[in-house]
Amino acid sequence: MGTMRRIAGGMVLVTCLGGCGYNDLQGLDEDTKAAWSEVVNQYQRRADLIPNLVATVKGYAAHEKETLEAVVQARAQATGIQVTPELLNNPEAFERFQKAQTGLTSALGRLIAIAENYPNLKADQNFRDLQNQLEGTENRIAVARKRYIDRVAEYNKMVRYFPTNLTAKYLLHLEERPNFAVADEKGVATPPEVKF
Amino acid sequence: MEKKRSLGLVGSCLLVSTLALVLTSPTWALDVPPLAGRIVDRARVLSVNEADSLSAALKAHEDTTGNQVAVLILPSLEGESLEEYAHRVATSWKLGQRGIDNGVLLLIAVKERRLRIEVGYGLEGTLTDLRSAHIIRNEIVPRFRAGDMAGGVRAGTEAILKTIEGTYEAKDQPAVPRNRALASDALQLVFVGVVAGFLAGIVLSQGLRRTRALFGSLLAYLVAQSASMVLGVVAAGITAVLLWLVLWTGRGNRSRRTYDDWTWYSSRGGGWSGSSTDGGFSGGGGDFGGGGASGNW
Repeated sequence: MGTMRRIAGGMVLVTCLGGCGYNDLQGLDEDTKAAWSEVVNQYQRRADLIPNLVATVKGYAAHEKETLEAVVQARAQATGIQVTPELLNNPEAFERFQKAQTGLTSALGRLIAIAENYPNLKADQNFRDLQNQLEGTENRIAVARKRYIDRVAEYNKMVRYFPTNLTAKYLLHLEERPNFAVADEKGVATPPEVKF
Repeated sequence: MEKKRSLGLVGSCLLVSTLALVLTSPTWALDVPPLAGRIVDRARVLSVNEADSLSAALKAHEDTTGNQVAVLILPSLEGESLEEYAHRVATSWKLGQRGIDNGVLLLIAVKERRLRIEVGYGLEGTLTDLRSAHIIRNEIVPRFRAGDMAGGVRAGTEAILKTIEGTYEAKDQPAVPRNRALASDALQLVFVGVVAGFLAGIVLSQGLRRTRALFGSLLAYLVAQSASMVLGVVAAGITAVLLWLVLWTGRGNRSRRTYDDWTWYSSRGGGWSGSSTDGGFSGGGGDFGGGGASGNW
């Protein structure tokens, strides 16, 4: 009976380990990283569309120098930030990344807005195609961001709740991860819209 | 006097909490309609024949390629964002096969005069954003503008099918993380089940009340955890029975057990999670990343 109790005690301990979130935390850690890579991917995809866009607009609205320059610069700034997995663990770098992307979003918005004044540009097939691709990318960015926000919330909850916070702190050395600022969401939720 | 005051206090507390609940509750969102078939026409735009023939075409496509294409026609979006709603419907309906994500949703909102083609991850390479936009621009919108709704839906659907047909092949997909997760989940459940069964065995055969109570409550917890999954319960049952048999035969004369104690150990029921299947058509578990295109007429 003594051995029985010892074995049972051992099993209880093992079950507790399972219950204390060791595996769950690892899983959520990976999920968060995956969701983040998706966000970065989509932002990159957007950045890739821009040179073509700028060239097309230049073809019709060359003297809108300021707006075009603003977009080019904003893009350079956004792509200039090195995105490493470490970014997730560094809230300042994360914020810088966010700011750069928001800057690019607003510069793009202004560019689309001026297209309204150039009917030839609006009618240009290439421009319309680029618009569609840009819209598609902005939508994917929105979806990717939403998924990241959900994942990170789950992850952060586990990292903060008792008793999994103990596992997180002492066993796995995992910390809270940054989330997108709420103020950002409004800017991203309404991507530059194009109505023809 | 006191009674009145306390009543007033309770009343105002109730009022405040109700208000708080209402004001802070999530904004009303348009519900996702049930997946009644491949064509869900809530605006009654298509005639029965048209809907049936379209549905047959979509079914034939799915039978040969595995891609799941569905059409949803709404009378109104009711203030919802088109992209967000389309994504929500597509992911709720889970169009496309799990892991392959080969689903497409054509969403039409009649009142707002807007439409969207929502493309699953797996088809984004062939039904690109650009091609979706072209289909909308060239096939659907002109017909809608001319008042030919049914023709527009048909032309659009055909164009979608043609775009993904020749180029998309249902190859054997490499192992997707999701499948691996399923396997490890199953393993975990079996492990939990075995442990639970072991504890059940102890509970059945030990004599000490305190130990029994402790293990009994642990058992209840574990069983409750696995209550929604067959695997855990079955494993628990098998282990419990085996252990009980082993220990029972090993001990010979034992004192009677009262089964009053078992009322303590009843498990909380867990809900079954299953996908709703109506009309024989159901989503295959596919996912959507926001690809596709929107348009208006």
